[in-house]
Amino acid sequence: MSIIANLRIATLAASVLAFALPAAAQTKIDFFFPVPVEGKLAREMTRLVKSYNDSQKEVEVTAVYTGGYDDTKLKAQAAAKAGKPPAVVLMSANFNVDLKLSGDIISLEPMLKAEETTRDDFLKDFWPALHANAMVDGELYSVPFHNSTPLLYYNVQHFKEAGLDPTKPPRTWAELADAARKLTKRDGDKVERYGFTMPAGYDYLGWLMEALTLSNGGRYFNEEYGGEVYYDTASMLGAARFLEDLIFKHKVMAQGVTEAGGVSTAFFAGKASMMLLSTGSLSFIRENMKMPYEVAFVPRNVRNAVPIGGASLVMFNGQSEDSKKAGWKFIKWLSSTDTLGGWSRFTGYFAPRKSAYETAAMKEFIAKNPDAKVALDQLPFAKPWFVTYQTVAVRKALEDEIQAMMNGKKKADVALKDAQKKADELMRPYVEQTALKLPQ
Amino acid sequence: MRKLERRLLPALLAAFLAAVAFLWAAPFLWTLVASFRPEGAGSAGMASLVPDTPQTLENFRNALESGSFGLYYVNTLIVVAGVLAVQCVTVSLAGYAFARLSFPGRDVLFYAFLLQLMLVPPALIVPNLRTVVDLGLYDTLPGVMAPYFASAFGTFLMRQTFLALPRDFEEAAAIDGAPWWAIIWYVLLPMAKPGLVAFAIVSVTAHWNEFLWPLMVINDPAKHTLTIGLAAFTRGAEGGKEWGVLAAGTLLVMAPLAVVFVAFQRRFVDSFVFSGVKG
Repeated sequence: MSIIANLRIATLAASVLAFALPAAAQTKIDFFFPVPVEGKLAREMTRLVKSYNDSQKEVEVTAVYTGGYDDTKLKAQAAAKAGKPPAVVLMSANFNVDLKLSGDIISLEPMLKAEETTRDDFLKDFWPALHANAMVDGELYSVPFHNSTPLLYYNVQHFKEAGLDPTKPPRTWAELADAARKLTKRDGDKVERYGFTMPAGYDYLGWLMEALTLSNGGRYFNEEYGGEVYYDTASMLGAARFLEDLIFKHKVMAQGVTEAGGVSTAFFAGKASMMLLSTGSLSFIRENMKMPYEVAFVPRNVRNAVPIGGASLVMFNGQSEDSKKAGWKFIKWLSSTDTLGGWSRFTGYFAPRKSAYETAAMKEFIAKNPDAKVALDQLPFAKPWFVTYQTVAVRKALEDEIQAMMNGKKKADVALKDAQKKADELMRPYVEQTALKLPQ
Repeated sequence: MRKLERRLLPALLAAFLAAVAFLWAAPFLWTLVASFRPEGAGSAGMASLVPDTPQTLENFRNALESGSFGLYYVNTLIVVAGVLAVQCVTVSLAGYAFARLSFPGRDVLFYAFLLQLMLVPPALIVPNLRTVVDLGLYDTLPGVMAPYFASAFGTFLMRQTFLALPRDFEEAAAIDGAPWWAIIWYVLLPMAKPGLVAFAIVSVTAHWNEFLWPLMVINDPAKHTLTIGLAAFTRGAEGGKEWGVLAAGTLLVMAPLAVVFVAFQRRFVDSFVFSGVKG
């Protein structure tokens, strides 16, 4: 071998080294994640992150379990204010507008630009219903990770007992009320079994009210503008009154507020025959329900429509460029077809990427679990999750009133008028800075 | 007649007290029963107080597997013991100052101190977190402890305890030439022990059960405390609850405190009676 060839190899080796060295310096980042369903998911997430850390050498991710969705927001914002912003956070998908307005999360457009790809290209593989929640003011701010829609779960055995055909679940509100009446079992004044139930705790209730008002032709909020909600409208009034009737007129639903845990427990115990619950609970129900059950679309009054729920990956403001790069790399891995597919099969959430459903593993899974297919079939009817200025407070304005109605303390029409008034007050600062800011 | 009354009244009273005690104990009984209940029966009869057969340890296994509980115990112990150790020094000294020393503005300062009790802890999260980051204590156990090193409640309690002690002992010691620290250490503290014990119980329970602040400070999973480990079962938003695992996890978290309380019950009750604090 000639000296020149040797030299070449030496320079080549040197340049490889030069390239390899900065890459070898590992970037450490924090990833905050809530556990929305059960503890098992925290273990699975920790396992996933570990496999990512083992698979490459440039980024080391610390997976930090951060409680519920609200705790996670609180912790991430407090950490950012104290100068320790997390690189990546799995955040409830309807906190985006708030987080953007407070300057906590960053636009992901620069990352797309650096990779010479466009937003449309990036979002192409994600279900269209998810696009709205991924963006704020026309820019990409979050990447969908796991998503859900409400679903009607029903007890097959109870259907048979009540003379209903379990292959023909209620498709309309009329059919739902009728089935619930037949399914409700009374012993004198005491109700032994309710025909219908749904969670009415904070967060869940707002989401299900959106499902009901959407099914009634309504919109809940202005998808294009964060300063408007449609509480005092005919479609919402119909939805609220339907609920009021189920409790007080048809008496097929328990009075008062039941949390999600109580709802699924009642369903398992055969104390309730039908329930509205998230598709995100599919695996949990499948594992714990001893009696045969089926799932169906959320019944409609005017049209079939359900809201999206779930969580997306966001990046926080105030991190170094290296940390941003590492975070984006991790986000791309977490939202890859294979990771999303595996997480979806483990949890019951649906995978936000269409391509996840074209993999062999997913096809086999769907064939084995037909209930997962129903959840998937409902997706074309999905609409964005409500998101406004002060999302949580504006949502609670409605929930407090609907809860009062479910407790028999208020009538539906009064409740909605009060909810609207409260929500308008909450959004006024934003509205005055935007829609009502007129040229002097 | 009167004889009957004399026998009946205590019996009635006992029955009534037993009923009240049962009401109070029901949640603990349920937790105990549910934690040993097999999963299948768990959903149907989950609210029942009657134990199911066969009993199972499965729930405990699941709970233990969902996190490194051994580590959580150690971390919680470090936090609780560390906070208490520092607090004992600070509240005794501050209590002594407010009870015995006279200096200008003492009472104003004391009331300002008490005002702290009115603050809602969540309002302090961001400022406290900033301080913790500035001190370089972010994501460390001392960071979890730091905001509690001084305690308004403890200072108040120790001041009241010292005030209740007669001055004669101190004066005798002072005449013998004891410096102020020796008076506190050898004379006052031994007599103020019940006050300290009462404060210790309140402090230990509060920090053992605390959730939000440790969640804010700690990132590293190896530094999590018990409550954060437990939250993995209880904070579920979208799904249902696995009651058996939930009960087992709760039991694991509260067991050490419960055992300590039962073991030292008599002394605890004595100190509360002495210091006039109700739990």
